[in-house]
Amino acid sequence: MTLVRTLLVNGQRHTLAVEPFDTLLDVLRDKLNLTGAKKACNVGDCGACTVLVDGRPVNSCLVLAVEVEGRPITTIEGLGEMREGVRELEPLQKAFVHEGGIQCGYCTPGMVMAATALLSRNPKPTTDEIKNALAGNLCRCTGYAGIVRAVQRCENYRDDGTCAAKRDGAHVPGRISRESAAEPGRYRSVGESLPRIDAVDKVTGRALYTADIRLPGMIYGKILGSTIAHGTIRRIDVSRAAALDGVLAVITGADVPDTTYGVSPARYDEHVLAKQKVRHVGDPVAAVAAIDERTAERAVALIDVEYDELPAVLDVFEATADGAPLVHERYARNIGTEVHQHFGDVDAAFARCDHVREEVFTGNHIYQCPLEPHAAIARWDSDGTLVLYTSTQAPHYVQYMLAHVFHIPVGRVRVIRPAVGGGFGGKAATTPLDLCAAVLSRKTGRPVTMRYSREEMFHYGRGRHKQHMTFKLGVDRDGRIQAFSSEIYLDGGAYSSFGVATAYYAGSMIPTLYHIPNYKYDGYRVMTNKPACGAMRGHGVPQPRFAFECLLNMIADDLSIDPVEIRRRNAMDPNTRTVNDMDIQSCEFRATLDAVEKKSGWRSKYGRLPPGRGIGIGCGGFVSGAGYCIYRGQVQLSHEKGPEPFQKHSIFPHANAIVKISEDGMAAVCMIGAAEIGQGSDTVLAQICAESLGIPVSRVRMRSEDSDISPIDLGAYSSRVTLMGGHAVSRAAAAVVEMLRPYAAKLLGCESSEVRARDGKMFVEGDASRSVDWAEAARKYFNENGPLVGSGCYKPPDGLGGDYKGATVGTSPAYSFGSAVCEVSVDLETGKVRVERFTDYHDCGTPINPQAVHGQVEGAIVMTAGETIMEDVQFDAKGRILNPNLHGYLMMSIKDAPEIFSDLVDSYEPRGPFGAKEIGEGATLPVLGAVAHAIANATGVWIKDLPITPEKILAALRERQRTTDVPAAAAVGTA
Amino acid sequence: MYVPEIELHECDSIEQAAALMTRYGGEARLLAGGTDLLVDLKTQRLRTSHLVSLRRVAVLRGVTLEEGNGPRSAGAFVRIGALTTINELDAAPLVRRHCAPLLDATREMATDQVRNLATVGGNLASAVPCADLPPILIALGATAVIWSRAGERVIPLETFCVGPRQTALQQGELLVAVRVPAARAGFGAAYARFALREGNAIAVASVAAGLALADDGAISELRIVLGAVAPTPALVAKANTALIGRPVDDEAIERAASIARQAASPISDIRGSAEYRRELVDVLTRRALAAAAQRVRENRT
Repeated sequence: MTLVRTLLVNGQRHTLAVEPFDTLLDVLRDKLNLTGAKKACNVGDCGACTVLVDGRPVNSCLVLAVEVEGRPITTIEGLGEMREGVRELEPLQKAFVHEGGIQCGYCTPGMVMAATALLSRNPKPTTDEIKNALAGNLCRCTGYAGIVRAVQRCENYRDDGTCAAKRDGAHVPGRISRESAAEPGRYRSVGESLPRIDAVDKVTGRALYTADIRLPGMIYGKILGSTIAHGTIRRIDVSRAAALDGVLAVITGADVPDTTYGVSPARYDEHVLAKQKVRHVGDPVAAVAAIDERTAERAVALIDVEYDELPAVLDVFEATADGAPLVHERYARNIGTEVHQHFGDVDAAFARCDHVREEVFTGNHIYQCPLEPHAAIARWDSDGTLVLYTSTQAPHYVQYMLAHVFHIPVGRVRVIRPAVGGGFGGKAATTPLDLCAAVLSRKTGRPVTMRYSREEMFHYGRGRHKQHMTFKLGVDRDGRIQAFSSEIYLDGGAYSSFGVATAYYAGSMIPTLYHIPNYKYDGYRVMTNKPACGAMRGHGVPQPRFAFECLLNMIADDLSIDPVEIRRRNAMDPNTRTVNDMDIQSCEFRATLDAVEKKSGWRSKYGRLPPGRGIGIGCGGFVSGAGYCIYRGQVQLSHEKGPEPFQKHSIFPHANAIVKISEDGMAAVCMIGAAEIGQGSDTVLAQICAESLGIPVSRVRMRSEDSDISPIDLGAYSSRVTLMGGHAVSRAAAAVVEMLRPYAAKLLGCESSEVRARDGKMFVEGDASRSVDWAEAARKYFNENGPLVGSGCYKPPDGLGGDYKGATVGTSPAYSFGSAVCEVSVDLETGKVRVERFTDYHDCGTPINPQAVHGQVEGAIVMTAGETIMEDVQFDAKGRILNPNLHGYLMMSIKDAPEIFSDLVDSYEPRGPFGAKEIGEGATLPVLGAVAHAIANATGVWIKDLPITPEKILAALRERQRTTDVPAAAAVGTA
Repeated sequence: MYVPEIELHECDSIEQAAALMTRYGGEARLLAGGTDLLVDLKTQRLRTSHLVSLRRVAVLRGVTLEEGNGPRSAGAFVRIGALTTINELDAAPLVRRHCAPLLDATREMATDQVRNLATVGGNLASAVPCADLPPILIALGATAVIWSRAGERVIPLETFCVGPRQTALQQGELLVAVRVPAARAGFGAAYARFALREGNAIAVASVAAGLALADDGAISELRIVLGAVAPTPALVAKANTALIGRPVDDEAIERAASIARQAASPISDIRGSAEYRRELVDVLTRRALAAAAQRVRENRT
């Protein structure tokens, strides 16, 4: 029974028809087009839908619209005073913009509303009060640090939008080392902590994410997932679904292309919808398109599927046992990828070692949980072009995969990437939403949108592989590493996805941090009847890095060597070819160790803390972009012809940019297909563009969202965008400057080679007083030649990596390094861990935007500390996920987040743009080991399987009480 | 993940609400804050075709101080209307003055957003085993005020929940309020809970302790109540009989913890094993009881 009700939203009365069962969130988004409030969990766990009712924050997903009739409702769109038709930012919003309170922006509207309510009842809240008020708002990007700063400091923004106060004691923005030492103040945009260029849109709710976009005639799709973990489909009856009013199409495996897809060309093992076999709970079986999502959801429930159930394999040991059922016929013993690498001679070296220790470690099944659920809209244009709006971090790979599945040229696929609410690797692959939306759109002739619910995201998976690791490390009496061998079984789930690369990464990155003269790695990626695992932040490396760092700390204890010192003795040096042929250029790893030791007060704390308090160290580093890409440019011209042969080197450059100057010379449009997913790539690339052009960053606009506009960049994965995209942009901009030089030279009366560009001027080198407006030179160019457009590209240098099998994985133009010290307190009666503090130093080269760098570090620390102690996807004996939601799957809330000190060491990477290298993924790597070490230091027990839960700690403490009278191991402060 | 197409009934009085509930029988549910109910409906844990909204029944809101007349509330008591939200409860001056231990629970519950919606009545009548208010209310000696056309009946709160998601409410009955005896000299209570996350986490185990001491310091009443470790909030009567007349010393606390541990009948789930929950009950009982004893001393001074 439809009701007519009056809602009072942002001071305006809206009389509208609502259903009694409509939530306030759905009415705001779908009927009032106020899409600032986000549907990110739909059950009150995340706070992204927070709005104010009577000035109090509520989850609008938990309120029926009719229940708040007549009460004042405020959404993010209603904040700020109206002035001449524009809403001015509130001081709090300005603070979010300037203090690094925003990354992907998906939590931002809810966060700002909750903080607004706090400030209205308590204008000067303490840090604890802020954390209590915001504990219902999850953020996956910022580590909450910038959010707390924003609320604390919003008073500073009351009068104007002045920039952030300098961070106490932290790295001073704009410090550019070596290259600029000769010329202080050389750079204007690069090296500055500028606010994100999309921050204002995100803090006002104006930023449009895929689920916020409504195309004319758009209909809604939904996927039916398998209810069993393993089996074959005997019969599907869609008649009841098809007969439901409002249903426009129902598809099953019979309606989708036979072509398989995936990530690694040699392992395309997924179908758009199951053809016959289902391999995990949630495996896509059928899909529906209907006039609205509610109808689509009802229709999906009316599809009858009969299965012949097969026995399921749910862990790597079951799956590799003799006679185990096969998830895919093609993978014997369920092993999809096998890696065997041996450099030097580990057996001989172990025999020479003074001390050898072997331990078994187990990782956990982690899910990225970006705040924004995956979403897509597909449409077929009348010329046969497939247009896909999708929440992705690798638009080009989606484009490539759609072309592959639908047998059309890549050039007939247009991918549009609206604002993306976080990815962390979970949005790196083409999803069933992308593909089913395309199939349903072709079938119905209408744009079809599809969105995952939070639960469906878990069933889609692509999270971190759970790794079972047997590690053996041998050292001499001084703790110098002589040999290391590892055997890893990676639990891959039901499909290969990124897993081939994961299996190689798990081994390839270990020798980049320490000198390891003899190294052996045996890896097995195993198929199991669970959602496929994929590439998650740190891709394959965090768990082996955790295990290695733990083992190194155990050995340090065994030999009574300080854990920082043992690292110094083994630390990687610059300009090194590692044992596995990784080519390391800049490396300030030792500097990070020294700095973190000093800043954390390591020497006064390690071994001197009371029981229940602990300190630990962990280190790590990562690639700055994969040296080789997933496919190397072999284009499939027609389906009959098949792809060109696979080859080691890329045919095409990995990053490509176009810089176009407006005809008045006042604006630069920078086009590059690099995916802004919240990490800040648009901002960093705009800074690089402005710097290279010599104009202020405020005159640069980024166009990175549309493959029809922006040339190919491979996407936001392998921490590649700053280095690779940065090079492409700076080269495109340099090309523009090169074209301008003759015109400026003519105006200046000098040689072209003498012309320099900076601050919106072109001037004679060495005499800045002889200058012309940059725009004037640009207009001159345009008037004579037409459009002023420069292009640039980046290909990794030749010679990265060796010639052995798998040598390409782990290669990179540059490597980051970092060290982190963690301090914890542990309740020895319950085992509960409180991560108190992190001190982190990184070598990320020379930062382009220090605040963005610190934002990555802060976010990585909180995400990964949570991963270490609380995150775990749990399955029952039938392969069903027990916690596919954000109250069962726990990520750290603002109250769990530690205090963080993040700083950078001076470094310059010769292969990076302006000396920069990566930070986003590398920042995760020191964290697990540091937390684990600190817990061991606090309790005297090592927990070697993740996550390190209170229950495991307590059980280990009890076990130790039973087996020994010795109260603590050497690592414990009181021993 | 949508609320199914239910019919929503609005009403202005308890009588109307009860009449609607009677008319639709098992097909109807009361809608108060909705923070549990809408989730259950969206996730299809619960199916129902009618909701009876209580939002306009103003008489169910608010916190008042009333004089007692029953055996368990000879003194004054605080009457908390069933529709009072958790944040209203937390902010109520009468609560802060007369039943401050409730704040141990309100501050740890869910999130600010949920506390602005969720109601006291909902937290009780949902009868979810891990709910936070029941243990501390029971420890405080609270009673449930149950309305029916025949009149009101008042029952000890420990008898209100009869199973997971099951209450003692009969057809035609509504929970309209809880009554909490006001703070009195010689009495103190505290609530200790354990969760796997600092913010917005469901209790893995919780223990409330209500403690009355005679002038000589001997225990005259001990109400240990367990949450999340039994099908219903569990008042551990044996702790009272075992410790009555004794001083609150380490031995008594150990004894209470040991009795509580044995009284727990936890399950294993994603948040913890049964054995771990028993350990937690032990620790939390000691902590809650020590805190309650501290509050008795503070109430004296």
